[in-house]
Amino acid sequence: MESRILKPALGLYVALFVLFLYGPFVVLTIISFQQGPEGGPQFPIIEWSTYWYRHIFGLTPPSRIAPLPFGEALLRSLVLAFMTMVVSTVLGVMSAQAFRRKFKGSGVVFYLIVLGMMVPGVLTGLGTSLLANNVIGIERHWYTTAFATHVAYTFPFAFLVMLAILNRFDASVEEASWSLGVDPWTTFRKVTFPLIFPGVLSAMLFAFTLSLDEFPRTLFASGRDQTLPLAIYGTFSVEIHPNIFAFGVLTTLFSFALLSVYGLLMAMSVRRARKMAMQEDIA
Amino acid sequence: MSSQISIQKRQSKTTRWLLAPGIIWMSLFLVVPILMIVYVSFWTQTTFNISPDPTLASWKQFFSSDTYTGSLWTTVRIWLIVLACTFVVGYPTALFVGLFVKSKTLSTVLLVICVIPFWTSFLIRVLAWRPMLGKEGAINIVLLKLGIIQQPIEVLLFTELSVIIGMTQIYCVFMVGPIAFMLSRIDRNIIEAARDLGAGFGRIFWKIIFPLSLPGVVVGAIFVSVMVLGEFATSGALSGRKVNLLGNIIVTQVGSLKWAMASVVGVILTVVMGIVIAGFLRIVDLKREL
Repeated sequence: MESRILKPALGLYVALFVLFLYGPFVVLTIISFQQGPEGGPQFPIIEWSTYWYRHIFGLTPPSRIAPLPFGEALLRSLVLAFMTMVVSTVLGVMSAQAFRRKFKGSGVVFYLIVLGMMVPGVLTGLGTSLLANNVIGIERHWYTTAFATHVAYTFPFAFLVMLAILNRFDASVEEASWSLGVDPWTTFRKVTFPLIFPGVLSAMLFAFTLSLDEFPRTLFASGRDQTLPLAIYGTFSVEIHPNIFAFGVLTTLFSFALLSVYGLLMAMSVRRARKMAMQEDIA
Repeated sequence: MSSQISIQKRQSKTTRWLLAPGIIWMSLFLVVPILMIVYVSFWTQTTFNISPDPTLASWKQFFSSDTYTGSLWTTVRIWLIVLACTFVVGYPTALFVGLFVKSKTLSTVLLVICVIPFWTSFLIRVLAWRPMLGKEGAINIVLLKLGIIQQPIEVLLFTELSVIIGMTQIYCVFMVGPIAFMLSRIDRNIIEAARDLGAGFGRIFWKIIFPLSLPGVVVGAIFVSVMVLGEFATSGALSGRKVNLLGNIIVTQVGSLKWAMASVVGVILTVVMGIVIAGFLRIVDLKREL
C-alpha cells in the first residue's frame, strides 16, 4: 500500500475532521466568556469574564436580560429521563430475553421494536399528539404522552444492546442453576442478571441520554410545561445571549460527569466479575 | 416425551409474557399514532376547528400550493446534498479509523473523540454555528486574518448553505461509525494477497475495500436519511426561516392548529421515508451481512 503517502495524508484529514467536529464547540466555549451584560453572542470578545456563568445562577445584579427559565425545565427533564430509562431498560431486557428462543413471528416483532428508532421524531410526536388531542381528547403532559413517545424511542436502543449482550451469553450457567432445582426467576436474579449487568448499564445510559436531549417528540407530545430542550428552543425565537452558550458548556460538563460515573460502575462490575472468576479457579 | 412438550409449552408462554409489554407499548405509542396521522389527514379543517368528516380538501390544498410542494422538493434536495456531504466527509475518516490504524486502542480513542460532541445538547450545537458562520463569525475572522478574503463572506449564515454545513457536521459521525465498523472486519489477508498479486491501492480499494464496506455505508445512509428527512430545528435556526423543510411545515401548521394539513405533510414525509429506506435495503441485504 502507498502507506507512506496515503496514511499521513489520511491522518491529516482526520485531524481536520476533528477540527470540523469541535469547531462550533470551541467557539461556543470562547463566547461563553464574553463580557456582560452588553456583550452579545458574537466576536470580538470585548473582555473575558465569567459574567454569563454567574448570570445563569442568578449571581449578577439584575439587568434587562432575564435569567434563563431553565430551573424547573431541567428538573422535569431529569425526572422524565429517569422514568424513561427505567421503563425502556426493563422492556429491553424482557424482550431481548424472549428473543433468545426462536418463536413464530420473531421477524415482525423485531421490526416493530426497531421501527421506534427509525421513524423520525416529528412523526411520532405529531401522531401521538393527534391521538391524545383530537381523537381521544385528553390533555398532553410531559409525564404522560411525551413519556410514552420517549420510551417508544429509547426502548429499541435498550433492546438492541441487550440482544447483543445475550447473543454472547453462555447459557450453560443457567442450565446448571436450573438442574440444581433453582426456579427460573431466582436463576435470572442470581445468575443471569449479574452477568448481563454491564449491558444493562449501557442500555440505561443510552436511554437516559437520548431522553434527556430528546426534542422533536417532546415538542409535539408534551403539554404546557416545558422540558429542557423545549426551554432552549424557546430562546431561539427571542434574542440570543451568551448565557445559553455558558449553559451549553455546563451541560456538557455534566454529561462528562455522568459518563465518568458510568465508566466507574462499569469498571467495578468488570473487576467484580474477574474476582469471582478467580475465586472459581481457586476452588 | 410429554414432560418435554409441557416444558416447551411453558417456555412459549414465558416468551409471550416477556414480549407482551413491549409489543403493546410499541403498538399503542408508535403504530397507532402513525395510523392517526393518515386518518386525520382526511378530516375536515375549518379555521378554528377540525371535525372527523372525511374530505380530500387538505390533500388538494397541499398539491395545489407552491409553498407546500416546494418544501417537498427542498427536503429531497437538502437530504441528497447532506447525504452526499456526510459520505464524502465521513468516508476518509472511517477509512483511517477502521483500516489504517493498526492499534485497537487508538481507533477506539478516535471513535470516542467523534462521539464526545454529542454530549452537548443538540439544540445548542446547532446554535453554536451562528457565531461560527456569521458576517463577523469565526470563519470570516480567520479567513480575513489569513488574507484569503478581503470582504467577509455574507452567504455563510441564514442561507441554504449554512443549513447544509450545520447538518453535515451534526450527522457525519453517524456515517463514520458503521463504515469504520465494516472496514475493521475486513480480513487483512485478502488485501495482502491482492497486493502480492500486484494490485495497486486504487484497484484494491475499488475491488475489495469499498464493496466490503458497502453495508456500513448503507447503515450510515439510513441513519443520516432518517434524521435529515425529519429535521426542522437546524433548518429553522440556521436559515432564518428561508429553508422550509416538510418538518418545518408540520411545526408551523400544528402551531396554528391546522392539524389536518400537518397530517397530510406527515403522511407525505412517511411515504418519502419508506421509499428511501426500502431503496437502501434493496442495495444491500442487511440481515445477511450483519
